Amino acid sequence: MQAAGQRLTMRTTASRGAKAGRLASGSSRTARSAVVAKGTDRDIQIIPSVLPADWANMGQCVADLEAAGVDRIQFDVMDGNFVPNLTFGPEMIAACRKYCKTPFETQLMVSQYASETMLKDYVDATKGPNGEPGVVIVHVEACDHLQRCLKQIRELGGSPSVALNPHTPAEMVKNVLCDVDHVLVMTVNPGFGGQAYIPTMLDKIRELRAAIVAGGYDVDIEVDGGIKADWTISQCCDAGANCFIAGSGMFAYPTLKEGCDALRAIAKDAQAGKVLPPP
Amino acid sequence: MAARDRPECKIAPSILSADFARLAEESKRMISCGADWLHVDVMDGHFVPNLTIGAPVVKSLRKNLPDAFLDCHLMVSNPKQWILDFAKAGASLYNFHLECVMDDNTNEEQATELRSLINEVKASGMKVGISIKPKTPAEWIVPFLGEIDMVNVLTVEPGFGGQKFMSDIVGKCKIIREASKEVHIQVDGGVAPSTIDACAAVGANVIVAGSAIFGSDKPQEVIATLKKSVEAAATA
Repeated sequence: MQAAGQRLTMRTTASRGAKAGRLASGSSRTARSAVVAKGTDRDIQIIPSVLPADWANMGQCVADLEAAGVDRIQFDVMDGNFVPNLTFGPEMIAACRKYCKTPFETQLMVSQYASETMLKDYVDATKGPNGEPGVVIVHVEACDHLQRCLKQIRELGGSPSVALNPHTPAEMVKNVLCDVDHVLVMTVNPGFGGQAYIPTMLDKIRELRAAIVAGGYDVDIEVDGGIKADWTISQCCDAGANCFIAGSGMFAYPTLKEGCDALRAIAKDAQAGKVLPPP
Repeated sequence: MAARDRPECKIAPSILSADFARLAEESKRMISCGADWLHVDVMDGHFVPNLTIGAPVVKSLRKNLPDAFLDCHLMVSNPKQWILDFAKAGASLYNFHLECVMDDNTNEEQATELRSLINEVKASGMKVGISIKPKTPAEWIVPFLGEIDMVNVLTVEPGFGGQKFMSDIVGKCKIIREASKEVHIQVDGGVAPSTIDACAAVGANVIVAGSAIFGSDKPQEVIATLKKSVEAAATA
């Protein structure tokens, strides 16, 4: 069991207020989810990925996202080894810190070697304006010693999270649910923006949510990949996710605020029982 | 007009030392201060223990600076993997490490592989450069000088900015310049007004400087000093 005060849980920006994730058994919304214990609804968080941004003007980009009312900003670190794309490292993230106060999140799509050698750099770069823990996500597929890695993120002052590629079963993280603040379910194969959402991930989300509720863990479920303000976010929310990464799903709108508001509205509707069916 | 012993001097500030959140603005500032090229350090966390930027950043740079010369230094374990990405992103020059392909300069297979990579880069429309780390002998690159546009002589161990110039290594440029008057010779690592004369004396004409330029409150003057030293040596 974790010592009191040791848990460093990310919360939304001040304007949204904080709501502790209370866990109760047996609460359900739709007929489908009545079978699975979903617990009390958790805060919806809209988290844009910077993948579609102008990378030569990242400071301006994060300032614009803050103005649009997002809850967190996700930085996709790719090293060309774990995924077939090479994006940026800790310096890019650290350089953006002074341009906004929004909490950061770093998804490490890097090989085990890279995450071991540079973990502190990423944890430091992702911290909040006053040193608050930033979310650092490691992939279960990339870490032979996952529990040790998650523990190190916590010790270094970060908020640990684990990600699963589409093929990876929920089972793979069942023994580390007590070590994370979030679980990220990839709904595309990581590496590039603009890909199509994989709907078969819904069962995985439900399974994870049931395990989290059954274990009494204070853990968010995040989804990333092809999420848009339509049935994709709606179905994922209904299945038990509460944090939504959107790249092209937000940047496609005339303004970022419209994109953020549209995503949030559909997710809120889903939590209220109005779930959009797939096409 | 005095005869030259090397191509025109190019000053190439390294954006590794820039504010990564304002790369377009910083790059434009460098060009307005007299920079000729922009040196883009690409690191994949495997060939060197640091991870910096990849082709998507180059694409954004190209969009913001349509006419800039983007000199991309690929410190990556598999240079073949990124050729098309960088060409599509708008890189002007693709500079990869000899050590990725060659650990024995008498090995014919490795020489063939090197030539194949060189040709692949050229076929994609980019200029081609090859980098050699401090411990790699200059003689290893000499047989290929006629096929490439540039040799990059590293005067630090690649991976991080702000390191100390290795004055005993810069002499490698002399061996390369004596073998070719036409090839660009780039010096990269700890180059500053205090070390430029040593670089100019041995035939270098492309000067990479990061902290020396970005760390100065008068980058225009630093760039002018570096260029003056090289041009003086080129026409001496």
